[in-house]
Amino acid sequence: MTAALLLAGVVLLTVGSIAPMSTRLTAVAQACQLAGIVVVGASGAAVFAGAPAIGGPFRDAVAPAVGVDPVTGFFLLALAVVAVPGVLFAVGSLAVDPSARALHSLTGLFVLAMVGVLLARDVTVFLACWELMTLLPATMILLTRRDRSVRRTVFVYLAMTHLGGAGVWVALLATASVHGFSDPTALAHHGVLAVTGISAAAAVGFGTKAGLMPLHSWLPRAHPVAPAHASALMSGMMIKVAVYGLVRLAMGWLGPPASWLGWALLVVGALSALGGVVYALVQHELKRLLAFHSIENVGIIALGLGAYLLLRTHGASVWASLALAAALLHTLNHATFKALLFLGAGAFGQQVGSLDLDRLGGLLRRMPWTGGSFLIGAMAIAGLPPLNGFASEWLTMQALVHTAIGTPASAALPAALAAAALAATAALAALCFVKVVGLTLLGPPRREACARASEVAPSMRTATVFLAACCVGLGLAPGLLVSRLVTLTPHPAALATAGGIAAPGTGGLPTVGLLVTLVGLAAALVWARSRRVSATAPVWICGQPADPALAWTSAAFTKPLRLVLEPVLRPERSLGFDSDRAIVRRISYASAVPHLFDTHLFEPVVRAALAGARIARRLQSGSLRGYALSLLVLVLTLLVFARLGVLS
Amino acid sequence: MTGAGWLVLRLAVGVGLCPLLPGLTQTIKARLQGRRGGSPLQPYRELRRLWGKSGVDPDGSGPVYRAAPAVTAAALVAALAVVPLAGNRDSGSLLGHDALVLVGLLALARFVVTLAAWDTGSGFALMGAGRDLTFAVFVEPLLLLVLILAALPSGSTDLSLLAARTAGSARWTTPVAWCAAAGFLLVVLAETGRQPIDNPDTHLELTMVHEGPLLEYAGRDLALLQWAAAARHWVVLVLAVTVFLPHGGPTWSRALSLVVGLPLLCAALALTETWQAKMRILRVPHLLLTGSLLALAGFASYFAIGAP
Repeated sequence: MTAALLLAGVVLLTVGSIAPMSTRLTAVAQACQLAGIVVVGASGAAVFAGAPAIGGPFRDAVAPAVGVDPVTGFFLLALAVVAVPGVLFAVGSLAVDPSARALHSLTGLFVLAMVGVLLARDVTVFLACWELMTLLPATMILLTRRDRSVRRTVFVYLAMTHLGGAGVWVALLATASVHGFSDPTALAHHGVLAVTGISAAAAVGFGTKAGLMPLHSWLPRAHPVAPAHASALMSGMMIKVAVYGLVRLAMGWLGPPASWLGWALLVVGALSALGGVVYALVQHELKRLLAFHSIENVGIIALGLGAYLLLRTHGASVWASLALAAALLHTLNHATFKALLFLGAGAFGQQVGSLDLDRLGGLLRRMPWTGGSFLIGAMAIAGLPPLNGFASEWLTMQALVHTAIGTPASAALPAALAAAALAATAALAALCFVKVVGLTLLGPPRREACARASEVAPSMRTATVFLAACCVGLGLAPGLLVSRLVTLTPHPAALATAGGIAAPGTGGLPTVGLLVTLVGLAAALVWARSRRVSATAPVWICGQPADPALAWTSAAFTKPLRLVLEPVLRPERSLGFDSDRAIVRRISYASAVPHLFDTHLFEPVVRAALAGARIARRLQSGSLRGYALSLLVLVLTLLVFARLGVLS
Repeated sequence: MTGAGWLVLRLAVGVGLCPLLPGLTQTIKARLQGRRGGSPLQPYRELRRLWGKSGVDPDGSGPVYRAAPAVTAAALVAALAVVPLAGNRDSGSLLGHDALVLVGLLALARFVVTLAAWDTGSGFALMGAGRDLTFAVFVEPLLLLVLILAALPSGSTDLSLLAARTAGSARWTTPVAWCAAAGFLLVVLAETGRQPIDNPDTHLELTMVHEGPLLEYAGRDLALLQWAAAARHWVVLVLAVTVFLPHGGPTWSRALSLVVGLPLLCAALALTETWQAKMRILRVPHLLLTGSLLALAGFASYFAIGAP
């Protein structure tokens, strides 16, 4: 039954992706895409909820195979939650785009590729869909933006994800070659080195694609230049498909994971969470800022996975399964609010043009539906009760706290540090989103276009409002998902099925009580306040008239933190005087926070690679004698090796 | 008594008595500085006066500005319900007693107030808001670390269990309890906005931290926000007495600790305010980081020495 449903969904999605080639069929194609995604998501949800799994486990043989188990089902559900509003949004946002038909088609294919990765039950399907998933968004970016800098960005994106992604190929093919998929113990027979190698290759491969630091550099470049719905799909779901790989890896997909993987995930997760949010704070462009927050949230997911591995190693199976549930719940939650924020940013961009944070403002009043949804998304990503971001960050934090108080020092101390890092991350995210919401939605409009903005097309509005409703709904009843998620591990924990999360060793997360108390009391107090009529008055600026030029900026708001973090962030300032003899004519001031990973890590590597390439190029002299000589040397070397028995 | 009964009692005591804490602190501070000062009941008079007045909405402000005081007060009422006083654990409670839920509620209150600062667009309000959120970046990890230290004996983040298991004197023979207490006292200073971290009495807009975003508010809005500040005092001081400082185990002895401990802590705050000047703003994160390192040292000592 679910298998037939899934097949129907995939067929609908395929038809919907091919049909936009014809002008007349665009509307039908979009309906097909939406229906296909809903059906695929529904069948995934059915398997997740307990319907029998489709297909077998992962195979070693190189023959195409697909299937759905509860983990895949959960990710299919998350995919549908993101892709349905994504496609719906595209209907409105691409209405006047010259390459709209191609983009609709590519969107469908992109979703199909992600479905393919999730469904894959053998190496060929997995890797083929994995590569398609990387290439299709690149095509979408190149279709909409043709300038040189964007082409360069796409090159960096493809280069990094392919170099890092090679790890996925190595890990999967190596596991298949030792029959590691069908027999989890097979890999262990090949020694510690094989286990370490495969875990490292897979962690690098999936980590690059997920945007974990320090291999994240492509993400803040590629996500902002894509069309809004593609950004939402990339940040919302594409990197989650890489997280799917990490989750499988942690659950023992490629044989038992190496013992250091738990610590590595904690370190990389803490680095990504803190680094992502700190660099997000100093961005001035909304979509780029959101892209950095994706790195932060993937870091939080990695913290949950790291805690899972450490807790499992030390036999705390109840909290291990809760930690895994935390990572998976945050995956779904981040997909929801990040898609919401990217779609909201796209709607603002359509109305006002540039998304320079210091040149927005006042959009909540002009775009109440989109703006209100964006506000909910911002509060969710800042991890505030009673929304969904709080639920999963609460559970992740609890997992780290219970790692700290329930395991030996070797795991407890890193977990305590990671918990502190997560707390700092949450506070930094709050700071960042107070800034974003303030500059975008509140205050007076800071440029003419913002004053003239109006609400976007109904399909775009529906998409953002749907996602905002998901944020509230998932915040209200995370327990329904968690009680099922904890059963996915080999040693499942039993949890009461309720709206809130009643985890052992905690005071519980009474989501319903929180929502009712907060909303009820706040509404009552707002009513009480409005009983006294308020007067309006100008803002107090020590008695001076308000001057728009003195409006507070993004840089001003984060200045205290930038000053505190100066030793880490190394901001650059330049002050120039243009003086005519003794009289200063003009003063110029510029400040920027360079991305230290780019300047200190990637640029030296690229320089070294280019220098190496220059040396290698000397071999290609163009002279025939040179090539003949190289051939001769090669043949002779091979003969010597054969003689010595190295090549056996 | 049933769970709901305890909840109502806890809320009534918390909502009603929390303005007493800043009032008492101000009175003691005035005496220490050789002034006569107001009565400890002065905050109640202030609240009554403000509740009778109409508010002022700055030009161009919107729904966020108007809803912020109400949401802040609602979050603090929920926080009062989460913090257990002296009774037994009430399992049927609407909001539970989880420590991390409390952290989330305090963060929510901070978020909406600082967001309202953007809605006014006032530079002074935003200056204070930016500083407040910057301090929070260093307060929250410290708070988390001391909570981990306090959770070690019970293995739970349930505040009522935490309070029960940290009772007694045996705990105070190890560095863990001392480090947790020292770290939490820094959290108390930061969350209540007291010197040396912030000056609640300042009238100079340029130096404001917590007071900054409140500048534009008047009437009932200001009453709600002032009550919320008092409730913040209540939450952290009650936690200090029932979890982080020496206290008794049974209900009556914990109630006694509260009756004795809360005025003593107010006196301690007043003493600190009298004797310490306000710190340079950029030094505050260093102080809080030192607290975090102290808490980490305490945590490491738990593994090195062990706990009773």
